[in-house]
Amino acid sequence: MPSIRVPSALRNITKGASDVDVDAPTVRDALAALEKLYPGIAARLLDGGGAVRPFIKIFVGPDDIGGLAGLDTKVGARDEIAIVPAIAGGADA
Amino acid sequence: MTRTLVVGAGGLGGPLALALAAAGHELAIVDPDTVELSNLHRQIQFTAADLGLPKATRLAARVGGTGTVAPWAPALGDAVDLIVDASDDPATKFAIADWAVANGRRYVIASALRFGGNVFAGAPGVACYRCLFEEPGEGPTCADAGVLGPVVGAIGGVAAAVAISLAMNDRTLAGALLVFDDLRRVAEPRIVRFAPRSGCSACARAPITPQPKEIPDAEHSRSQRSS
Repeated sequence: MPSIRVPSALRNITKGASDVDVDAPTVRDALAALEKLYPGIAARLLDGGGAVRPFIKIFVGPDDIGGLAGLDTKVGARDEIAIVPAIAGGADA
Repeated sequence: MTRTLVVGAGGLGGPLALALAAAGHELAIVDPDTVELSNLHRQIQFTAADLGLPKATRLAARVGGTGTVAPWAPALGDAVDLIVDASDDPATKFAIADWAVANGRRYVIASALRFGGNVFAGAPGVACYRCLFEEPGEGPTCADAGVLGPVVGAIGGVAAAVAISLAMNDRTLAGALLVFDDLRRVAEPRIVRFAPRSGCSACARAPITPQPKEIPDAEHSRSQRSS
């Protein structure tokens, strides 16, 4: 079962969960399954048209899905789907 | 001696400025803000004696170099070889990266949030920050997600190490993003590498001919622009 690596910045939505196993054949399906478990997270990752937001990158293993089949990239049982957001924290809070 | 501009004199900028100064960099530090009480738990370069005073000049007084009480502006980049972003503003990060690409400078973009952070190593001839993250977004900030105090010190230290490597023309990490997911549990970063993005507006403005301050790699630069 593929696993989604949730970045620290979004774990307030996943109630602290860092790795979420989902039963899904593609990245798109995996994100849909993640949304079912943790409503609201998809809106942080995808825009209104269902595309990955520009400041979010998604990797399957070491590969950016932008260089593969995008959200239709197939995932296997041992694949890790990593979500990497641009973050801006630094000088102040 | 490498002339380095540090943008942001807070939690990230403090430790990285200390490290770069100790490594012999000639520093210019810019930050528009003053030291506040809520900063002191993670901006350990400051003490209560600094409250209300400008961060840029207080940090410069401690590590040497010049301090300017102002936000990033392109004119600040002209006099330096390397720019390190330690700001908390997404638009500033993109503006610095875009300017560095257009002017053939090496640059580092550092961010910390909650328990981790990202450090991007930028250099001429490789995929740029905008190739990866196409535009500033509505991502979480320290204000809404918080940040663990020591995390900014750790990420600032990594940013300094990356900056020193780039200053020494070490291209090992050029074009890579180091992702530290949760420093409470794992100190090893995920190193993300990616190809230049076709249609990247920043790379379209990159010089074809290497600039004097550029790390030589002209062939890669040409192929990047034509893609």
